[in-house]
Amino acid sequence: MSPSPTRTLGAFGLYRRMAGASIIAQLRYPGTFIIQAIGNFVTTLLSFFGIWSLFQRFGSIAGWDIGTVAVLYGLVNVAFSVAETLGRGFEVFGGEYVRTGSFDRLLLRPRSTLLLLLGHELRLRPIGRFLQGVFVLVAGLWLAPHVQWTATLVLPWAVAGGAAMFLGVLIGQAALCFITVEGLEVVNVLTYGGVEAGQYPLTMFGRWLRRFITFVLPLAAVCYYPALFSLHHPDPLGLPIWIGAFSPLAGFVFLGIMVLAWNRAVAGYVSSGS
Amino acid sequence: MILRPYFTAFGLQWKIGLRYRIAVVAGLVAQMWFGAVTLMAYASVYHAAPDVQAPLSLRQAMTYTWIQQSLFTLLPLGCLPAIGDAARTGAIVYDLLRPVDMWNWWLSASLARLLGNAVPRAVLLACVAGPLAMLMGLGAWSLAPPAGLAAAILALMSITLGAFLSATIVMWWNILTARTLSPLGSYAVGTPLAVLLSGMLLPLPLYPDWIRPFLLAQPFAGITDIPIRIYLGTPIPGGVVTGLGLQIFWLSALTLLGRLWMRQTVNRLEVQGA
Repeated sequence: MSPSPTRTLGAFGLYRRMAGASIIAQLRYPGTFIIQAIGNFVTTLLSFFGIWSLFQRFGSIAGWDIGTVAVLYGLVNVAFSVAETLGRGFEVFGGEYVRTGSFDRLLLRPRSTLLLLLGHELRLRPIGRFLQGVFVLVAGLWLAPHVQWTATLVLPWAVAGGAAMFLGVLIGQAALCFITVEGLEVVNVLTYGGVEAGQYPLTMFGRWLRRFITFVLPLAAVCYYPALFSLHHPDPLGLPIWIGAFSPLAGFVFLGIMVLAWNRAVAGYVSSGS
Repeated sequence: MILRPYFTAFGLQWKIGLRYRIAVVAGLVAQMWFGAVTLMAYASVYHAAPDVQAPLSLRQAMTYTWIQQSLFTLLPLGCLPAIGDAARTGAIVYDLLRPVDMWNWWLSASLARLLGNAVPRAVLLACVAGPLAMLMGLGAWSLAPPAGLAAAILALMSITLGAFLSATIVMWWNILTARTLSPLGSYAVGTPLAVLLSGMLLPLPLYPDWIRPFLLAQPFAGITDIPIRIYLGTPIPGGVVTGLGLQIFWLSALTLLGRLWMRQTVNRLEVQGA
């Protein structure tokens, strides 16, 4: 017997309902929400004040003008805030699902576990980081010379690739929880640490770190190269400039690999509940 | 003995801090990562602008960053978690009923919590960033020794004052929590303030010159910035005496005002729960 389409929601419809419920729940306490969003905005803006102060003192960051650095900074923060909004379920997965054993209940539902965890919460708080990132990004485009009109296409594409990459990190982090049960803070190195590393030009880092954020975590592909392409800035490391138009694809490839890893991990899941 | 209850409160929180050994190692990895990213950024900024007379040399900026990273958990990022829980559940009445001075009772618990978290991490990171980095041939990136014997002794005194100052600021967050019945507000306010104003984000001496006197005079500078300056032997306007004087001033001012605020808060405290 096949379920009739009028009574069963599609995957997207279901997600929309879960997201709607989550938004209503968060707006129940408007005061808390506003304070947290403002806190988020101020914290992230202050971290740009740190970079700006370095410019004030040294004139440039290793030969990069402030416009370029602002574009990098804005790009990585906007991408991360989108992933933070969507992926809250994966972030709390270890503590709230694996340790308590309530992941068993998700497995009983006739839907993809990924969809159900995405619907855990559509988090509104990162809007502070998002707005701040957009603000710095626009300011950077304003200040930087040689901005290409193609930036309007490449930058959203890079944000999508970056969000996919960070979401992939969160999914990989959740898949690790099947082994470690509790969440591991070390993974913050890839999320918050990734944001920290992504806001500086790639050439500032030593070779081992450059390789890591290019080939292991494709941070350079979703942030550095698209920014160079948008600003028509030649790459000091010698790669052709058009590569930035295609490189954000690597973020989606990374997400795909993490989804495969997740599916394997779920197949081997043994409940810790009673 | 009259001080015994406060030592008990201290001992309890100290043991909680030492409990999570894996968390210490995880924190170490994260701090190494953030330290490495920051150090590489500073190195390339300094090398690109060799003519700029910065208030800190590159080696000093690196040492500053290592010490700051290792003392991250000493910062007053929010209220004591136990008090946050007590405020929410109403268990705070038990604290009110105790025949002890509540300020000292909470202060000893807060201080122990900060030290129990910070001391093991600081010792570990100092070993890795100091002698171990030297042995691995990374001498230029390592933690520099103190400027001299006198500087070392004064820095030790200063960091002791800094720990008390930090615990006193945590007390303010505790009172805020008791007042608003939720620990979230204290974290939303405390974390950005502490990260920016203590020099965690960027060493306070590297900010633009016009803002530096204000940054030195505010209370958060007394936690880690002043001890590190004494350790490095970088000049403080007015000498070491100003540094220690500022710390003592803020310690007494915040204690007096905080006690007043606490008395007022306790008098009108409404406890929820049965």
